[in-house]
Amino acid sequence: MDQVELTINGKKVKAPRTSSILKAALDNGIYIPKLCWDRRLTPYGGCRLCLVEMEGQRKLFASCSTPVKDGMEINTESDRIARARKSVLELLLVNHPLDCPICDKAGECELQDLAFKYGPSASRFKGERKQAPEVTTAPLLERNPNRCILCGKCVRICGEHQGVGAIDLIGRGYDTEVSPAFEESLDCEFCGQCVDVCPVGALGSKPFRFRSRAWYMEEKNTVCPYCGCGCTVTLGISEGKIIRSVGTDGVGLSKGDLCGRGRFGVDYVHSDKRLTKPLIRKDGKLQEATWEEATAYISENLKAVIDSSGPEAVGAIGSQRCTVEDNYMLQKFMREAVGTNNIDSLAALGYSKAQKGIKQAFGLDTLPIDYNSPLTSDSILVVESDITSTHPVWGLKLYAALRDFGATLTVIDPKLTKLSRHASEWLRNTPGTAVAVLNGMMRTILDEGIHDKDAESHPGFAELKSKLEEYTPEKVEGLTGIHPDRLKDAARKFAAAERPLACMTLGANENNKSTDTVLATANLLMLVGAGADALEIPAELTNTIGMFEAGIRPDAGPSHTPLEKPGLGLVEMFYGENSPVKAMFIMGENPVVSFPQAEVVEGTLKGLDLLVVQDLMLSDTAKLAHVVLPAASWGEKEGTVVGASGQPQKVIKCIEQTGESVPDWQIFRNLARFMQKDTGLGTLESLQQEIEGKVSFEFDSSKATPQFNPVDLTMAEETDKEYPLKMVTGNLMQHSGSLTTLSKGLESVVSDAIVQMNKADAKVLEIGDEGYIKVASRRGEITLKAKVTDEVPEGMLYVPSHFPHARVHLLTYPSANGAVSIVAVKVEKA
Amino acid sequence: MSKLIDRIIPDPVRCITGISAYEAEGGFRALKKAARAGPDFVIEEIVRAGLRGRGGAGFPTGRKWAAVAEDTATPKYIICNADEGEPGTFKDRLILEKNPFLLIEGMALAAFTVKAGVGYIYLRGEYPALFHLLEDVIAQCRKKGYIGPDFMGTGADLELYVHRGAGAYICGEETAMIESLEGKRGQPRSRPPYTVNYGYMGKPTLASNVETFANVPIILNIGAESYSKIGSPESPGPKLFSVSGDVVRPGVYELPMGVPLSEIIYEHCGGIKGGRALKAVIPGGVSTAVLRSDDLACRMDFTSKCEGSMGIIGSGAVIVFDEETCMVHTAYRIAKFFAHESCGKCTPCREGTDWIRAILLRMEQGLGVEDDIRLLREVCGNIAGNSFCALGDSAAISTIGFLDKFGDEFEAHIKGKTCPFGGPV
Ligand SMILES: Cc1cc2nc3c(=O)[nH]c(=O)nc-3n(C[C@H](O)[C@H](O)[C@H](O)COP(=O)(O)O)c2cc1C
Ligand code: SF4
Ligand code: SF4
Ligand code: SF4
Ligand code: FES
Repeated sequence: MDQVELTINGKKVKAPRTSSILKAALDNGIYIPKLCWDRRLTPYGGCRLCLVEMEGQRKLFASCSTPVKDGMEINTESDRIARARKSVLELLLVNHPLDCPICDKAGECELQDLAFKYGPSASRFKGERKQAPEVTTAPLLERNPNRCILCGKCVRICGEHQGVGAIDLIGRGYDTEVSPAFEESLDCEFCGQCVDVCPVGALGSKPFRFRSRAWYMEEKNTVCPYCGCGCTVTLGISEGKIIRSVGTDGVGLSKGDLCGRGRFGVDYVHSDKRLTKPLIRKDGKLQEATWEEATAYISENLKAVIDSSGPEAVGAIGSQRCTVEDNYMLQKFMREAVGTNNIDSLAALGYSKAQKGIKQAFGLDTLPIDYNSPLTSDSILVVESDITSTHPVWGLKLYAALRDFGATLTVIDPKLTKLSRHASEWLRNTPGTAVAVLNGMMRTILDEGIHDKDAESHPGFAELKSKLEEYTPEKVEGLTGIHPDRLKDAARKFAAAERPLACMTLGANENNKSTDTVLATANLLMLVGAGADALEIPAELTNTIGMFEAGIRPDAGPSHTPLEKPGLGLVEMFYGENSPVKAMFIMGENPVVSFPQAEVVEGTLKGLDLLVVQDLMLSDTAKLAHVVLPAASWGEKEGTVVGASGQPQKVIKCIEQTGESVPDWQIFRNLARFMQKDTGLGTLESLQQEIEGKVSFEFDSSKATPQFNPVDLTMAEETDKEYPLKMVTGNLMQHSGSLTTLSKGLESVVSDAIVQMNKADAKVLEIGDEGYIKVASRRGEITLKAKVTDEVPEGMLYVPSHFPHARVHLLTYPSANGAVSIVAVKVEKA
Repeated sequence: MSKLIDRIIPDPVRCITGISAYEAEGGFRALKKAARAGPDFVIEEIVRAGLRGRGGAGFPTGRKWAAVAEDTATPKYIICNADEGEPGTFKDRLILEKNPFLLIEGMALAAFTVKAGVGYIYLRGEYPALFHLLEDVIAQCRKKGYIGPDFMGTGADLELYVHRGAGAYICGEETAMIESLEGKRGQPRSRPPYTVNYGYMGKPTLASNVETFANVPIILNIGAESYSKIGSPESPGPKLFSVSGDVVRPGVYELPMGVPLSEIIYEHCGGIKGGRALKAVIPGGVSTAVLRSDDLACRMDFTSKCEGSMGIIGSGAVIVFDEETCMVHTAYRIAKFFAHESCGKCTPCREGTDWIRAILLRMEQGLGVEDDIRLLREVCGNIAGNSFCALGDSAAISTIGFLDKFGDEFEAHIKGKTCPFGGPV
């Protein structure tokens, strides 16, 4: 980058030409006080604390908003500067309530620290203190206007950085205040970023209110337990409890950003629903037992199953939320102690579909995302994915690319999402038809000869060409609703990009995409001359990639080593007509709630001779088990996780294990010992050593072998007269699986399953906003609250599937092949 | 057709609001001339004429036009600053009332010269009648092809829109005005980047005052040579002065730049009302420091300074106070204005202006204490030069001006514990 050289306090420093004086100083270890500056935001210049002297200039300059120049000579400390800063502080303190003794920020308040540094003010201005009431009506966030110093950081992080804009400054001069629009109630994402940036105690996190003084709290960094972004959370721990979670500037992949789940959702570890003892079913009821009893029970019944039906009658479900160590031990136990390859996870219906596509298209087992790739791309295509909901913090990169780096953002999505709202081009397609949109784009690119000519030599090019024959813009319009002109325009622009990027997600509850969607996206990328590194599919959860590398697959062991005799996958085990499985181990997963076609799932589980569930709480699945084992949760154990970026990260033990719970890997170790099939891995160290030898966690996309895989748009189920609506399932930004429903914090934002439906559809059926409706598919019927909106188009319903009581999966069905599994439903007033 | 517009307001009585009347007066001849001679010629003429912005800061207009013309980014915009918020200033209003086509001609010239396709007139919210008048004037011009697509066959396009302000003084500051036009809260932006390169929607933008635009057709009509001979050499041209307060004939006067302040007050405005003596004059709107009767010899242009004060001409708003006016009260009223209009972005201005206001109020009420004058000076010293934009500076300059020139009146208020002029408010 273009560098300039300047002198700060007599020291020569180099800085990028675009840097401010303040940033150049901080990057060189020179401290300048500041209250309105944040690395992530455009300089504001409001607080005037960062004033510095510039050689040859009479006035002082705000260093945060003055760009560096070659040869500039800056002085950051002098009597004059100190006087100016002191006067600014004095002005800020005149009306400040100085209620530090009851302010949660005390001890880590920037205003307090600066007032201390620059000496107490004689407080010659005797001012009336502001007396506005606290605003505590919103969930999670509270506002104390009296403490506000109007630095505007909360407003800017919300608007500029998050792309939300829920709050702004209102009023003028001395009467200026932070407020939601029209002083109404707060309507936002509840990411809580504003609380983190507030330099004083004007914005607070309600769950943290009065919980601890800053100086009594111990802080520890670990990785967020939720999505694949793998953000670093800084936990505040007091009296053995995690009492808050914040981001720390510059630390980890996320560099200080967090979403609401990572910030407000970690309280689940202290849920009063946590299991403290093993449970064994006796006389039809689950009853507390000792670990010895439970282990003996399992060992005995497992042996009985193996003896009568062979090891093929045993199956296991791993977890993307458990550590690499837990998952590795699960598969080791199953493969070595039991002798079965019937090992799979819920990812079979999610990220595994992406991996299949990646393997077919590029010959790669694993393709992590390149975290910062959006920032260097000039054209980003988002394929029917609400990335800022599934992967909120990584999603910020897409927004940043658009905002700061001038990238074009094209979003194919029927739903109004944060990305489609900000997009340069929003192609609002019929739900689930991305494959047709992509095929249509490719056809235009081929027709106009603007494809990459080298791509013609990839295998499958001729087949692709002939497949695309039928995808005329007119036909595509019929399938997707996208006008031919807009389709062609998007195609041309994408083909012209220098560094195109295509992004999508494929979580287990996203039924609007499948392997075919991945293949079509890969085809398009190859056609415009891009490779595997232009395909960004962030893995769903905190350890999704780690779990796969550890060997949670029926057809491959650790590091995707192929197996001679593959086992049964999730679909065969749960939905197979004549599944041989009689005993099942389920670790950290809740099939009854999270797997599609819940009735079948329940049937399968109820028919088992032995069901062992390891979980944090008595989930709906655990309720069906013969044995329930209390597992130590995140925060209570050490281990490794590998999220979307493919980078192994350590999670640490921050608090003691709840009750008698133990880490999942230890459950398998102990069981193996009990069954006299000791794994030889007694300690975490020995386990980690063995894993190190087998799994490298090194992923190299340059080894890709591109190949075209022409695909058609196929829907596993069609709508008809009786079932005319398309039900898409997915995520809410504030939730992750059903785990977050244990969090009091997140439940205070959204705790009710809702179904979004279009105004026009609602009108026909005479359904009002917030009214209850019956949604029925060919498999079942449920009742949900309707949210009438134009965020979804006519003919579409959107249902988040996090809430156990909503039983959304009574309506759905599994689809492990390439087809999209949108559910045809009908709706009526409840 | 030998008639040429050579005055901003050719006729103080008549309002030229019909396009044929304007044409008959010689309207649009400058635009026609420019269309023949080309953009470079226009910029050269403005530079040679030495025109300086009439919005208050006196920035050389030619340099601004050239900077926008040179920027290769597209699209570009022009904005006419008709916010006219400075107390005592009402000269832009007169241009819009009496000779609105002159402004439009000036804006068309600008659009043609810098290649901007869209223009906004940011109109003071308190001028609702002018909003309708301007819409009508724009419609007339469009119909006749003086603006619109490919206006006058120049190949340039111009669509003009009138945007009404909502009554915030800060929105007269050009970057706050742009934020406001963009639909955001009216607060000034950091510079650099400058408006000429990064203005409305982040695009090159020419923002100028009404009177500045109105001067451009005159330059082209009479030629840069003759124009530069009007008024002072460093800031030539005609200037509108808004005179208010205790004079016999308040109003707007079109006089050459550099006219002595005493001439404006005593010759043009007929001196002080009721034969009283003059006590003080604010020469260029409330952002400039107050002067005493012995300062009246100073010339009204961008370069002259009076002893102890910064620039004096400002927006050309001359406010005259007779001997019966209380200076503490006057200082307080102005301080109240600034405290009310501070946008709240930066600490010194947001908090400081309110403190100045509070201290002056207690002085005026006879509740001032010994230390207050020193305190006032200190607060002002901490605002001046440290605030984000010129509003904060102006508040400090104004208060310091009163303390410098009329310190005795402040002391009298403190000592006497009451207002000698019959206050308090
Ligand atoms: C607080 C403040 C208020 C201002 N108000 C006005 C105004 O009402 N009208 C105006 O033309 N310029 C105003 N200005 C000056 C503008 O920022 C800008 O300098 C001017 O519009 C440039 O035009 P010119 O080059 O034609 O002078 C104001 C400046 C400040 C700092
Ligand atoms: S609430 Fe906090 S972050 Fe927001 S403006 Fe006030 S002090 Fe700044
Ligand atoms: S983005 Fe994902 S990893 Fe980051 S805080 Fe949110 S849930 Fe946690
Ligand atoms: S000086 Fe500061 S607070 Fe005052 S108007 Fe300018 S930016 Fe706003
Ligand atoms: S940090 Fe520079 S003005 Fe606030």
